Amino acid sequence: MIKIEEDWYKNYKKIAREKWGSEFTLWKAMFRGFIDMMREEAIKQGKENEPINPFSKMLLDVFIDVARARKKGKQIIMYPFNYGPELFHAMNLEPLMQEMFSVGLAPFHINEHYLDITNEIGYGDNPTLCNAQRPLIGSYIEKAAPIPDLLFFLSTPCNSLATTYQVFQHLTGVPTYTIDIPYWSHSPDSTFYDEKTLEYVIKQLKKLVVWLENQTHQKLDEEKFKQTMVWLNQARANVLEFNELLRAVPCPARSIEGFGNYLAMVLRGGTKAAVEATKWLRDNAASNVKNKIGGVPDEKIRIAWPYTHVFFDNELLPWLEENFNAVVIMDILGYYHVPPHDTSTIEKCFESLAKGTLDFSMIGTCRGPIEFYIDYVIRFVKDYKIDCVIMPMQFACKHAYAMARITSEEVRNQTGIPTMIFGCDPYDSREVSSEEIRGKIADFLTEIVL
Amino acid sequence: MSIIEKFIQAAPLPNSWIDNWKRDGKKVLGYFCTYIPDEIIYAADILPIRIRARQCSDTPVGDAYMSSTTCSFTRCCLEAADRKQLNFLDGIISCNSCDQIRRLYDNIRYKAPFPFHYFLSVPANVNEVTIEWYKHEVGKFKKQIEKEFKVKITDDKLGHAIQIYNESRRLLKKLYLLRQRETPHFTGTDVMNILLASVSIPKEYFNNLLSQQIEEAENNEGISDYRARIMVVGSLLDNPQYIKIIEDLGGLVVTDSLCFGTRSFWDLVEESHSPLDALAQRYLSKISCPRMTDGHLSRKQFILDLIKEFYVDGVIFQRMKFCPYWWGEIFMLRRELKELGVPFIDLEREYILGGIGQMKTRIQAFLEVLE
Repeated sequence: MIKIEEDWYKNYKKIAREKWGSEFTLWKAMFRGFIDMMREEAIKQGKENEPINPFSKMLLDVFIDVARARKKGKQIIMYPFNYGPELFHAMNLEPLMQEMFSVGLAPFHINEHYLDITNEIGYGDNPTLCNAQRPLIGSYIEKAAPIPDLLFFLSTPCNSLATTYQVFQHLTGVPTYTIDIPYWSHSPDSTFYDEKTLEYVIKQLKKLVVWLENQTHQKLDEEKFKQTMVWLNQARANVLEFNELLRAVPCPARSIEGFGNYLAMVLRGGTKAAVEATKWLRDNAASNVKNKIGGVPDEKIRIAWPYTHVFFDNELLPWLEENFNAVVIMDILGYYHVPPHDTSTIEKCFESLAKGTLDFSMIGTCRGPIEFYIDYVIRFVKDYKIDCVIMPMQFACKHAYAMARITSEEVRNQTGIPTMIFGCDPYDSREVSSEEIRGKIADFLTEIVL
Repeated sequence: MSIIEKFIQAAPLPNSWIDNWKRDGKKVLGYFCTYIPDEIIYAADILPIRIRARQCSDTPVGDAYMSSTTCSFTRCCLEAADRKQLNFLDGIISCNSCDQIRRLYDNIRYKAPFPFHYFLSVPANVNEVTIEWYKHEVGKFKKQIEKEFKVKITDDKLGHAIQIYNESRRLLKKLYLLRQRETPHFTGTDVMNILLASVSIPKEYFNNLLSQQIEEAENNEGISDYRARIMVVGSLLDNPQYIKIIEDLGGLVVTDSLCFGTRSFWDLVEESHSPLDALAQRYLSKISCPRMTDGHLSRKQFILDLIKEFYVDGVIFQRMKFCPYWWGEIFMLRRELKELGVPFIDLEREYILGGIGQMKTRIQAFLEVLE
């Protein structure tokens, strides 16, 4: 076993000192930042001599794998935060989740610089276009991020994503493929994904495979694809179990752990590493349930957070835990429902891939009418014994922000639970400061919830 | 009353044609987007009306329910529905045009419902798989209209509606071609009123009026006292006053790429194919709006073709505030037009026309550059 203090930390630091190339400037900055954050956290928890956990290892290895892929001549495919990379793994591509930049740079307050550059060249503003994607343009202009060999995105969950990816394609000329995610039409004789919907997505995924085959000059290896889907579904089963364990009182996980599952699936879905990372998270939660240990000591408030975290303030959730004994049990990225599927044949594998695509984080909840989102929130509130709902809405997130008010009214009417809605920019600390956000949340918790 | 005055009377919602239609006991359905095949509605002997909210002056409900950072068109529509200004409609049809329109549909259903709501899932790119999907969606839509309004939409009826709609499209194109001349026969303001009438009154009546208008215009002298020939490009624009501001300063709007303009009528539906096939094909493959993730190059080419064919001196990009699609599209177009040496300005606006002084100053300066 590698020891954190003695070996792990030194090993990764050593890798960080290697030459990664100027295009990986930001990538390496994040890598260094995460190494230090993980070390600090280990020391804080008195676990500096414990072995590295599979989740941390998986996360750090993503940075190394992407940087080394370029050196090895392995093609890099950029894709968005709402799609799993399993097919790319199966086709020997190196997946690079674009929003890793905006999410990963936010706590170090590096996004702001790239947003300013994006503004300077006249591409958008915050209330119009989401800053989960806009730093990409600034980092391209400064040549601080790698230009992928291939680009892939979906029509959902938002226009902002689809727009900025098109602009990136326009600027770079990177070969690009998109697939259409159908909108659930909410007619009485339609279900969320009926056979027609599944067939539609499967057909498009098969066309994606053909496109990838043409771009990479290789055929899909069916055995490798099947193995990828087996691992993917093992990880899905772990996530599902973890989510069930969160029902326990006290909640057996800390506020950020559900998001950890999401990271495992979105960065390394379809690999053994994701199976191990999700298993580790599940096993910890299961052990805590068994021993009646809460992720937050003396749990007092259980919060549903049906939107993204405020990424620039990575101390917000610990602050909630320490000051209010409050645990954020779910967030919109971390809590989503994809059960494991049959992977016995290639056709079944494609079906599983399509179902996972339709149900992925923010796709399942946001690709249809508001009823899906309302149902998602209310079911969670009821099933997980939630005391309040907090929605930190991104100003530019039109489709989500425009659901918040009605959802809060429905939550109140159907469960009696209060909801707090406030606008902010999770990627840019200058829009609404940490202090302002914490002040609002503190007022809400003390005056309404407690 | 001149023909153009009739169009001006037909442009607002509601209007006397809608009143008469309803007086006959017939239904009116509102829709939001050019991706909805309104031939289906028309074939059911229901009047399709493209929804606007020009009467809107403030948006307290829209701000509260949709947030003040959604586009003001959608906030105004929610406001109009909440204030019962759209109560002449028997239902609304929407689609996933954009995030804001799809959430407008949700908010209307919760906050200010109509007797009938329907939503079409329109693909965001074009290939044989997505066209097949859209054909299925259009078929579902047809069945739902039949079921809800107890009508039978036969292929003959749908074919007839397609013919009438195509006639309308041909006439509008003819109207536009008259603007190619050195002395165009119509101001952009007049054309905007005609376009609004085209989605506000029964099509047969509209076609009849427009035929007369074109015939009359062909015998007239055109307009020669303008400073520059302008093309307007951008997101939803349904306000003739906006065009009038440009034209009062001496610019003459000769063509556009707008969803109330060319993008709504330029392409015909193939009449020799089965109606559902033809509708799915046409609506998905028509000159697109930036909601189509694979259409930028063809949209750019369409604009360049019109610039050439209509002898355009300069382009005015009008961009609705908080519209992600059009910000991205105009960002790309600005770079492309600059490379080609085509003059342009980029104006952001709200649905409720404001900041007119600033707008006039910028347009005035632009026209001076063009002269």
